[in-house]
Amino acid sequence: MAENGIRAIFEPKSVILIGCSEVRKADVHATFFRSIVQAMRRFYKGKMHVVDLSGQLDGTSRDLRAAPRKLDLAVLVLQPKQALNCVRKLLNRSAVKAMALISSGFTEDQAEQLSRTAVKRGIRVLGPGIVGVVNTSNGLCLMPKLRAIPRRGATSFIVSGQGVGPAMVDWAHLHGIGVGKFAVTEGSVDVGAVETVRYLAEEKGSRVICVYAERTSVDGRRFLQALREASKQKPVVALGCDATRSTLARPSIWGGRIFSAALKQAGAVLAGNIQEFFDMAEALAKQPPLASDSIAIVGSAEGPAMLAAEAVRREGFELARLSEGVIKSIKRRYPDVCPDNPINLTPNAGANCYGFVLGRVLEDPQVNGLMVVTAFDSCPLEPEEMRLLADVAKSVEEKPVVNVAIGGDWYVAVRDVLRDIGIPVYDLPERGAKALRALRWYGKLIAERNMTSGDRRVILNGLRDVRRRTFFA
Amino acid sequence: MATDRKKVAEILASTRRQGRRVLLEHEAKQVLSAWGIPVARSELARDASEAVRIARELRYPVVMKIASPDIVHKSDAGGVRVGLSSELEVRQAFDEILANARAYRPNANIAGVTVQEYLPQGKEVIVGAMQDPSFGATVMFGLGGIWVEVLKDVSFRLAPLTAEDAKEMIREIKGYPVLAGLRGEPQVDLDAIADMLQKVGDLACEFSEIAELDLNPVFAFDRGKGAIAIDARMILKEGS
Repeated sequence: MAENGIRAIFEPKSVILIGCSEVRKADVHATFFRSIVQAMRRFYKGKMHVVDLSGQLDGTSRDLRAAPRKLDLAVLVLQPKQALNCVRKLLNRSAVKAMALISSGFTEDQAEQLSRTAVKRGIRVLGPGIVGVVNTSNGLCLMPKLRAIPRRGATSFIVSGQGVGPAMVDWAHLHGIGVGKFAVTEGSVDVGAVETVRYLAEEKGSRVICVYAERTSVDGRRFLQALREASKQKPVVALGCDATRSTLARPSIWGGRIFSAALKQAGAVLAGNIQEFFDMAEALAKQPPLASDSIAIVGSAEGPAMLAAEAVRREGFELARLSEGVIKSIKRRYPDVCPDNPINLTPNAGANCYGFVLGRVLEDPQVNGLMVVTAFDSCPLEPEEMRLLADVAKSVEEKPVVNVAIGGDWYVAVRDVLRDIGIPVYDLPERGAKALRALRWYGKLIAERNMTSGDRRVILNGLRDVRRRTFFA
Repeated sequence: MATDRKKVAEILASTRRQGRRVLLEHEAKQVLSAWGIPVARSELARDASEAVRIARELRYPVVMKIASPDIVHKSDAGGVRVGLSSELEVRQAFDEILANARAYRPNANIAGVTVQEYLPQGKEVIVGAMQDPSFGATVMFGLGGIWVEVLKDVSFRLAPLTAEDAKEMIREIKGYPVLAGLRGEPQVDLDAIADMLQKVGDLACEFSEIAELDLNPVFAFDRGKGAIAIDARMILKEGS
């Protein structure tokens, strides 16, 4: 079980925000404080108390003596000297389980002073630094300059790197990625990437853990050990930045790839870039692992089906040879459909044809996963009708289904229909193929770890449970 | 082959006592051999007569290479002769190698010439280890030649390696089909390579004072016939 102090950082029932909203030259803290207060007022569902030392913000108190006696989380958005002063005053008055210090410019001495105080009082600390936390289930939004929080989802993120965390949250919001928790831990003196990975590994709302880390910002082998343990509980997607100033200045055969290899060795699936990072996470959060390389493609026309076939082959997949029974049944009912994998439907095919063909193909024992590829000009269905994919996926729930909707408006419309009912949607076959690769990686990991059919059942039950609590919420 | 920790420690300490961080090839091979890693047999000759004696013991033909901590790329210095089959050839090669090395780097500290047994050509692979500043002992594997120099087709893992880690490292490189047997060629001894990778990883873990270790080339022979390090370079950490 996660320690209360760490849980208080992510799931606080009461929060005090302390800052100074008076904008001064060359000081970002006031801007950060204002944006956090605004976001917390908009989204946070727990009890909140705001202390603005400059007294400029409406509805806030100016005096720390007004702070409640008991608090889960104290958030300080202040310059180092002011922050330390406020910590001292607050702790003399209130019992606090955890603190987050969104505060830049701490010297080593000041950080040590903070650390000592926290240890003495048994308080867990996130920060000091440009750290942050978002929890979509309770609306906690402690991330500087963030105006909106992402949709609620089952994927949680840890960012241990400089200046990319809030941008990733914003990106997830823009692209409608479902997020559970999001933590930026760079430079924290206490609760860092290791502690957050351990917390998320146990936390039930997070089905997938995604880690973006820079090699110099994590605690070497301790971090890898935490990932290794976490990957036994749930899938871990990692995007590692291996470059350092010295490897960039003096390239060698050793430079730039060791960190990625280490992440892989720790049981994570590697994403090559930020888009893959989110795509893989979405697939793993919504779909079951892929048990073999044998998959089927059903396209709305020849072109999309062939493009997808090329994309999956490049990722090492094989196109399954469909069973005779499945081929016959499709031919009998829909003679226009060519049931060779990749299968392409005709522009006249209606929802019934799509439903029948997809269902029969997914049931085929030779097929372990399905990619459905539709282009806006060749697919006769309305975006709403694409819901049938979820019904098909539900009928054979141990096999993954991903959708590729080629086209701009078409992609957005289909994504908006399917994202809440558990089918990942991508706008290009290559993105869908990478997502399948992540599902295949997880399938292999499970097989390597000799998970029993009972364990697989637990995974599927977990998937169902998470879908019920998040996507259908 | 068992590991001889004490002997490895002695060789490393002796190198340090001589004020060096770079082990000579025969010293690096002694370390590897003591750790149970197969190496081509070789000895240091300080003069031409000693070279002839060693060549007789190893049996002709032999290979001769310059032994200097200051000359890393021996071929570039004209410091390598292969397929020497007689006393006359060995004596001539000894003199030529020394002359070439002195011309290439006049101030180089030259210990002599390494005389090594001649082995039939195997598939060339490279095995390396280094101490990563964040993660410690790390192992590298790749195919030799242009595969590593131009294509950078190598894989990495943190040590110690499990048997599965080592096998994955081998399968991970793009050139893996070359080792697995291409167009009817037999597969090389992948188990022997995997074993070597594990041992190199263990050595780097156990002796963190080894900053860099390169086994290049390693000859990988057909399945069941092993793999053997032909050349080795080992550098110790500064000041440890």
